[in-house]
Amino acid sequence: MQASLKSKHVQHDATRKVRLQEWWFRNRALIGYAFIFPWFAGFIIFDAMPFIYNLYLSFTDYQIGTVSTPPWIGLDNYTEIFTEDKLFGKSMYNTLYYLGYSVPLRLIFAFFIALILNLRVRGMELYRTLFYVPTVVPLVAATVIFAGFLNTRYGFLNQFLVLIGAAPVRWLSSPDAIKPSLILLSLWGFGAQMIIFLAGLQSIPDDLYEAAAIDGGTGWHRLFYITVPLMTPTIFFNLLMGLIGGFQVFEQVFILIGTHGGPLQAGLVYMLHVYNKAFRDFEFGYAAALSVILFLIIFVLTILLVYTSNRWVFYGDAQDDET
Amino acid sequence: MKVSRLFGLAIAVMMLLSLGLAPALAQCDGEEIELEFMNWWGAHREALMDTLIGHFEAENPCIKVINQVQPWDNRAELLATAAASSNPPGIIMSTRPETYQFALSGLIIPIDAFVEAEGTDISVFYEGEIGLQYWNGELYGLPMPTAGLISPLYFYNKNMLRDAGFDPENPPQTWQELEEVARALTVADAMGVEVLGTNLGSNGDAFVFWLYTNNGRYSSDDGRTLLFNSPEGVETLEWMVNFTNEINGGVENMTDFFQDTNFSQGDHPFFDDTVAILHLNSAAFGHLNNVAPDLYWDTDSWGVMIRPYNGDNPDAKHTGVTGYNFVGAWAYTIPAAHPPEKQAAAYKFAEFIGVHEHGGCEFLFAQNRPSPVKACNENPEYYEQNPYWDKVKEALATDTPVQITPVQGQLAEILTNSVEEAFFGVKSAEDALNDAHAEMQALLDEFWAEFDADNM
Repeated sequence: MQASLKSKHVQHDATRKVRLQEWWFRNRALIGYAFIFPWFAGFIIFDAMPFIYNLYLSFTDYQIGTVSTPPWIGLDNYTEIFTEDKLFGKSMYNTLYYLGYSVPLRLIFAFFIALILNLRVRGMELYRTLFYVPTVVPLVAATVIFAGFLNTRYGFLNQFLVLIGAAPVRWLSSPDAIKPSLILLSLWGFGAQMIIFLAGLQSIPDDLYEAAAIDGGTGWHRLFYITVPLMTPTIFFNLLMGLIGGFQVFEQVFILIGTHGGPLQAGLVYMLHVYNKAFRDFEFGYAAALSVILFLIIFVLTILLVYTSNRWVFYGDAQDDET
Repeated sequence: MKVSRLFGLAIAVMMLLSLGLAPALAQCDGEEIELEFMNWWGAHREALMDTLIGHFEAENPCIKVINQVQPWDNRAELLATAAASSNPPGIIMSTRPETYQFALSGLIIPIDAFVEAEGTDISVFYEGEIGLQYWNGELYGLPMPTAGLISPLYFYNKNMLRDAGFDPENPPQTWQELEEVARALTVADAMGVEVLGTNLGSNGDAFVFWLYTNNGRYSSDDGRTLLFNSPEGVETLEWMVNFTNEINGGVENMTDFFQDTNFSQGDHPFFDDTVAILHLNSAAFGHLNNVAPDLYWDTDSWGVMIRPYNGDNPDAKHTGVTGYNFVGAWAYTIPAAHPPEKQAAAYKFAEFIGVHEHGGCEFLFAQNRPSPVKACNENPEYYEQNPYWDKVKEALATDTPVQITPVQGQLAEILTNSVEEAFFGVKSAEDALNDAHAEMQALLDEFWAEFDADNM
């Protein structure tokens, strides 16, 4: 009798479990939506809505103190940017210059350090921590420290240059040296990319290196025929993030050389121009239009990069399987 | 007997004390209003402002003023975002170009009605000082400190002049004498300048300050026409560029020399005897007294003189400039976003700062600098507090107001860019000024066209 009751109980539990599974399966889409809702709500409130509002403002003459609906001026802001704004071209050139050097340099530097930190030597955890420490230093503090390094007379860099017999560089006072100074500063935060590279390097199977060694491959062969191809997804990701971040470089420039952009505005990057238009000239509609243009440039570049990635990013055997 | 006398004395003292403290202990009978006071009275001035606020609150127990001292860095942006927000500070310390900008945008209110209602006597101010606070015929703030004494003074190191063979009691009065002293004192090497005679400055503000010492003008009286690219203007900029290149080794040397230095903190070449002549505003008296009191009273070591003029121009003379830039013509403005009772409270505080004996008058006296209120400067104790009070008054008399508009911020930025181009040799002084003039006049014309259309 007792065995029969127990069996019924077990059977009942099993039925409940099956029903729950069926309910779960039937409503899986709903449950999925519930899980992504917090992110989605955040995206709508903090990204999509401000973006749409910014897009709207870019077609208006919205200025500081505009209390009612800002006047609609159509494409006037965009026309002015492309036909009259001398600083649009200048700030875009400065930003592209910065990007052209800082992104590849940071990628190469982070990759190189990651390669070294992937070696199997004693105390590697300590070295990895030490190399990552600069990344956790707040950007403002790092920039202030850098300003001291770059001081023409007392800065560490010039003291070093003089020590080795080279001429001192006017890092922050010469229009020619401003951009290199900013590029140098950009290397400071290589730690985040380095960690991603390191994770990528550790996911490469050892047997590939062993096979290469048996076939007589040298270290260079292993690097260029195994490591680099297998790391292309990680390189692609870091490149994409670097480009997006590089276009929006602002804080370090703002702290290091101020809103004017340094001598002859040689360091006036695009976001600084947007900032000046909004908060110095109070032309918020115009600044919104500048932001939309920057968004479009980043968007198009991202599409191009993703499109061309099929040709140089190696995602394992996925393509072979499809064919 | 003795005990009773002592007791009586104690009672008398307590009564006197209670009388003295009465205002401080006054209670608010109605609703208390909190007034956030956004200002830039940092360094040693913060404690002085707290004292001023204490006096005000004792007289106005229902108004609580919160002293919100702001950092100097990114001042304009901080101010703009605060003023434009839906909940701005109760009262804002703003410079003349900002006041005009906010007035035009409707962010602040004119105070004429308050002046009339409260019976404030604005004739106590120097006409030139209160005059700078009017935009489009309406008054937007009461001044404190003076708009004057931003440009006309220079501080100099008597020991350095003496050691170089110059008479420290007769410092340079003209551009030519200034050049002579600077040539004799400046020492430069491959790393830059080691000892500096003087720096003329290399931005638009500096150019305008020197322009007036060559009998030039920035704009016409109605503020509609820019005049700085006159022959006097070109001559001024050429002189500045040549001086900086030949004597100081270029503008980069000057940026490097003053990098990471701060006069108000005492971390400045002036305190190391490595700069002989320094063009400073009147706030420097208070800073000097605060960071180096021994030096402040040692008048054998330092002196004050009025900005040199072009000795080759017979029409030129010592001249200061007021109300041109972002470091002058401060006033206390009232945001439009607040309810009338808070605006009224803000005006009471602005009036206290402006005209009350325990307001700006005492506050500026404690800093050894002049007041925009005429009577305050007649205080004979100024002569004891400030060893160069005569020079201060003399310099104040040279100040000339400049007519500006709410787009002054943008105009000044264009002028600075062009002046920099001349310093870096990208353009000649004449071309730089003419190009700047064309761009700035177009912007100014556009502003006036819109303004006139709106006010038809």
